[in-house]
Parts: sequence; structure tokens; C-alpha cells
Amino acid sequence: MAAVEIENVVKTFGKHRAVDDLSLEVPRGCVYGFIGPNGSGKTTTLRMIMNIIYPDSGTIRIFGTERREACADDVGYLPEERGLYKKMKVRSLLRFYGGLKNGKDVNREVDRWLEKFDLAEWADRKVETLSKGMSQKVQFIGTVVSKPEMIILDEPFTGLDPVNTDVIKEAVLQLQASGTTVIFSTHDMGTAERMCDFIFMIFKGRKVLDGTLASIQDQYGSDTLRLRIDGDPGLLREIPGTRLVRDHHKLQELRIVDKADPQAVLAAIMSKTRVKYYEQARPTLHDIFVRIAGREAEETIDEQDA
Amino acid sequence: MNKTLKIAVREYNVTVRTKGFIIGLILAPVLFSGSLIAMILFEDKVDTTDKTIVLLDSSGVVAPIVEEKARERNETALCDEETGKQVRPAYLIERVAPDPEEPERQKLALSDRVRNKEITAFVVIGAGVRKPWEDPGSAFISYHSENSLFSDERGWLSWNINDYLHGLRIRDAGLPEQEVRNAFQPIEVKGLGLVSLDKKTGEVEEPEATDEGKALGVPLAMVMLMFMMMMFGAMPLLNSVLEEKMQKIAEVLLGSISPFDLMMGKLLGGVGVALTGLIVYVAAGIIASNCLEWEQYVPYDVLPWFFIYMVSATFMFGALLSAVGAACSEAKEAQSLMPFIMLPMMIPMFVLIPVLKEPLGGFATGMSFVPFFTPMLMLLRQSTQSTIPAWQPWVGLAGVIFTTIFIVWVSGRIFRVGILMQGKPPKIKDLLRWAVRG
Repeated sequence: MAAVEIENVVKTFGKHRAVDDLSLEVPRGCVYGFIGPNGSGKTTTLRMIMNIIYPDSGTIRIFGTERREACADDVGYLPEERGLYKKMKVRSLLRFYGGLKNGKDVNREVDRWLEKFDLAEWADRKVETLSKGMSQKVQFIGTVVSKPEMIILDEPFTGLDPVNTDVIKEAVLQLQASGTTVIFSTHDMGTAERMCDFIFMIFKGRKVLDGTLASIQDQYGSDTLRLRIDGDPGLLREIPGTRLVRDHHKLQELRIVDKADPQAVLAAIMSKTRVKYYEQARPTLHDIFVRIAGREAEETIDEQDA
Repeated sequence: MNKTLKIAVREYNVTVRTKGFIIGLILAPVLFSGSLIAMILFEDKVDTTDKTIVLLDSSGVVAPIVEEKARERNETALCDEETGKQVRPAYLIERVAPDPEEPERQKLALSDRVRNKEITAFVVIGAGVRKPWEDPGSAFISYHSENSLFSDERGWLSWNINDYLHGLRIRDAGLPEQEVRNAFQPIEVKGLGLVSLDKKTGEVEEPEATDEGKALGVPLAMVMLMFMMMMFGAMPLLNSVLEEKMQKIAEVLLGSISPFDLMMGKLLGGVGVALTGLIVYVAAGIIASNCLEWEQYVPYDVLPWFFIYMVSATFMFGALLSAVGAACSEAKEAQSLMPFIMLPMMIPMFVLIPVLKEPLGGFATGMSFVPFFTPMLMLLRQSTQSTIPAWQPWVGLAGVIFTTIFIVWVSGRIFRVGILMQGKPPKIKDLLRWAVRG
């Protein structure tokens, strides 16, 4: 039985179709990444899984059952916009959140997580005294402290510094290792590539990709060349059978088109300049997304990455 | 523990453990009793400077007696008998001959003297006051001052002049004054309650005397207490919901508990807060009335109803306030919707007196069946000395319970939709749509 089954779900807000005929299946025990630019429908989909908003049509089943209420004790939810009672003390707040999910051993779990996240000395201080990173960690603990079977994290790494990002990533992977199903949304393709067993891409409300990273990449083959050359990278535009897709200044990416032979391409480049680095690779998630969603999507993602 | 109860406990704790609640709980009666003490303290704080009153007497009979009465008063009634301290002003009477040529000019000149603080007032006495039936046009006495409505002097003059004129007219008619005065001795109509049978002894009980404290004080105190407790219990819910919405806590909560249960939990917390305040006040009231021997003023028979109505009223208005909090995205918007919520809470306060005067009348009965007004007005009617039909409180209560459940349900729906809405404030049309479609 899958953790989440979504079938032909549609959700509109006024005239805007936020999610359009979406079908998706999240297996148990995996890490499933929802990626896509802002406004693409990630949060709406997650909220529908949580039953905080209802789909206009289609069905969503969680652990095999269709639910009408969001009050699912077996699912932990970290919303995109963090919500903590500022005047409550950290420990009481986490006990309250854990209690609301009918979690077992909540008091012990709270202390264990606070210890794990180096927040033990902040346990009896009010939330308003915490830094942004600490608040985010507290919010994460609030989501997992009741030991739910599945956790849904909406943009869990946004706004975190690299150290805290790694702390949360490690915690997510540990939870997965202990059997928890994890769904998280992110606009960071690199994180999705490194962490997710399955990746689901949504753009303008429609599913554009769904599967393991390998299966997604397999669809595109090894059609990407990464090169470092002497001289002006502009000359790469003139190589027949290729298209320059990205110029990273020190590294250029070409895509092989018209079934050209990569060896012939390399020979053509070497005839014009010295090649310092050459790699034939599968396209990155970012590239695949851009191919599907177009340049417009790339710009929105680049803005967020910046 | 049930999730609703967990929400209730948190809501209760965050309200009751605040300094604001504790200070408010102590301060409200302190302010109330403080104002009573202030009234008692300042009761004798009257202006004791001399009051000069000018008399323009065209009758020729009134001025001498006023002078005599003023002199008598100044000699005997100015000082407190126990302390010997002057507590009332002396009245100095100045007689001025009326100017028959230019009476209006003369009044203008005297008015200027009042404005210049040379005199306090002037009194114009018509020529026909002794026999008003002969020439009603000249039978007048007018008192002119800067504040004649609240003037003690006017009352004193009215009483003394009329008393003297009555005697004068009796003597003019050749009647024995004392006999006539005896004949007109007024008898007070005493207000009493109904006679009832003592169930234990079977004897007829003496009727209770109409008591201002019981007839007015107790009902008003109960209604004011209910209003205050409703504010204590229900008002924090608006801010609490608004905080949850603005701080994005609601989405976390809705991942754990249904909107209806969340609303119920918050309302239960609010009711708990109101009950805490109420228990403190009722207990303090009973203890104080025992110490002061005012036990007869404690309406033990109405107290259970008081609790029931207060709980239901806190639920009802708390639900409304929560819905407002859920529908708004900032405090300013909530403030603009507040009058609509406050109005049904305030209307009973505006009609207290007509309901108290005729608790069994059609107006009072009808108003007390409107669910929003029932808690305060039905209670008010029950706490008067009239006996209202036994079925009425029950029917009123049923109306309140149905309305409350309906509002909690509607508020829950508005809450669920409104809590995720941001940006422009919702229109009434939107709120209705959320309530209907959820």
C-alpha cells in the first residue's frame, strides 16, 4: 500500500487552475521531492494531501484511506510559513504540538530532539528569544516529535544557513532510515538530486516529471557535454551537432542534438582550440526541468537560487 | 487527553497566567469599589462660599419670609452637628425693588451681576402669587442663574415660598391652618412583594418590602458581572485567533485537529477563563455579603441560571469573535468588524431600565427570547422580584444553545477558509460563501 495516492486531482482558485489533473503515488518509506518554481502548485498539492484544503475533483488517499479531515496523527506537517506561539516556552510548545498529534513519549522525545539539535539550553526560554535558524529547528522538531509515519515538509531548508541545513537534512535521512515516509518540497534541484528517492516536478499546476532520478535521466540519455577550453567559449556555438546550453564562465555545457557523434563533436572542438576538460554526462535535474518547462521556468528557479 | 481539551487547556493557561488577567481581575472590583468610596468621600464636598440671591418681589409678601427663613437657616443648618464644620453655604438675601418701567433692563443688569460673580442668582416673584386663581398671568416665580437646573437654592426657595403661601392662603380663607394642614397630610404608598406560603411551616409569610437593592441593585450587578465576564472570556479569543492566523500557527494546528474541534477547544478555554473570574467574584461577593450582613441580597435561586447563561453567552460571542479573527488578516480589520459583534452584546445594556420596570411586559419578554439577548435579559428578568413563567428560561436557553451550536459550526467553516486567506479583507459576501460552502 502506497503512503499517498493522488488520482486526477484538480484544484482551482477563482479562474486560476492551481493543480491540473494530477496523479501521483508516493511509496512508503521513501523520500519524495516535490520541485518546481514558486506558484507552480507544490504547496497547494501538499495542503491537499494534508486535507487543509480540498480538491475540486479527484481523490487523495493516505495509507489507503480517503480522509476528510486534516487531523491525521500519522502525518506530520511542516508548513511553508513557520508558525510558533512566540510567548510560549520552547519545551511546552513542543509538548503541546506533540500532544496534539497524540504522540507517545512526547516529553522524552522533545528532550531527545532538543539535545540532538543543540537546543537543550533554550528549552525553557520563550520562542521569541530564538534566532530564525533555531525557530526553524524547533518547528521541525514540532513536526517529527510525535513520531508520525509520514512527514510532509514544505520548503524545510529555506532560510537556513549551510550548517543548519545539513543538520535538518541528516535528521530527515535518519527518519527515512527508520521507516518514515518523507515528502518535501524544494526549489533547490541539487538538494532534490542528492536526497530524494523519487522526484516529482510540477509546473503551472501540471506534473512534468515523476520518477527516480535515474529513470528521469535515462529518458534523456548521456546527451550532455561539459567542457573547459582555452579561448573564447563563443566558438562552441559554431560546433555542428551541438547547442550551447550554459556558459558557466569556467565551464561550458553543450547538448548533443540531431544524434551527432560525441567523438566527432570533440574532434571538431579540438580542431579549433585546446580542450582542458571533457565529460560526457547525463543532464542534471535542472537541465531536464528547463527543457520541459522552458526558459521562463529557468529564470524563476535562478532567481530563487540567487 | 482529548485534543479539544488540550487546545482548551493551552488557551486557558495563556490567558489566565498573564499579568493582564490577574491585574484586570483585581483592578475591576477595586475600580468599582473605588468609585463608590470616592462618591461617599466626595458627597459632602460642596461649595460652602456664601450664595447671594437677589429678590425682585412684586407680591410684597414673599421677600420678608425668604429673608427670615434664610437667616434661620444660616444660624442653624450650616454646620455638621457632630463635627461643627461648615458643610453648607450661607444664603444671603438681597432685596431689590422691581423696576416697573424697564423690567427687562433690570433683569439684564442683574444677569450681568451674576456673570460677574457678584451674586449667585436672582428671583423674580410675580404680583399674583398670593392668589394665582385671580390673575394666573402674574402668578409666577422665576429663578435665574448660570446653572438653575441643578441648583440647591432653587429647591430651597420653592419649598419655603410655597409652604408660606399655602399657610397664607388658608388664613386668607379664614380657615384653621393646623386643621387644614392635617387634612392634607400625605401618606406614602409603600411598595411590597406578594404574600406567599411557607412550605415548611404552612404559615402565611409576611410580604417582602420592595427594596431598591433587590429590585435594582442585584439585577444590575448580575448583568454587569455577566458582561464583564463575557468580555474576560470571549474577547481574548479574537486576538488569539488573529495571532494564530498572522503567525501562521493555524496551518500547523489544522494539520493536527479539525477546525470545529479547534474552535471548540478555544471556546472551552474562553469559558474556563470566564468561569474562573466568575467564581472569584461570586465567592468574594458571598463572603462580603455575609460579613456585611447582606445575605438577603445574594440571589441564590438565580445563581445556577447565571452560570448557565454566562457559559452559553461566552460560547456564543466567543465563536463570533473567533470567526472575526479568522476572517481578518490584521488587527485593524478586526477592529472595523468589532461594532457588529459588540452591538448584540450592548443592546441588552441599553434596554435594562425598560426591562427592569416591566419584566413581565411584552417588550421585555420578546427581547429576552432573542438568543443574543437571552443570557443578559432573561437573567435580568429572573433576578427581579417578579415571577416569570417557569418555561421561559428553558425556552430561552434552548434558543441560545441552538444558536451557539450553529455559530460554532459556521465559525469553524469561516475559520478553516479564512485562516489560509491573506491579503485583502473578506467582504460579507465572501464570509457568507465560506460559511455555506466551507
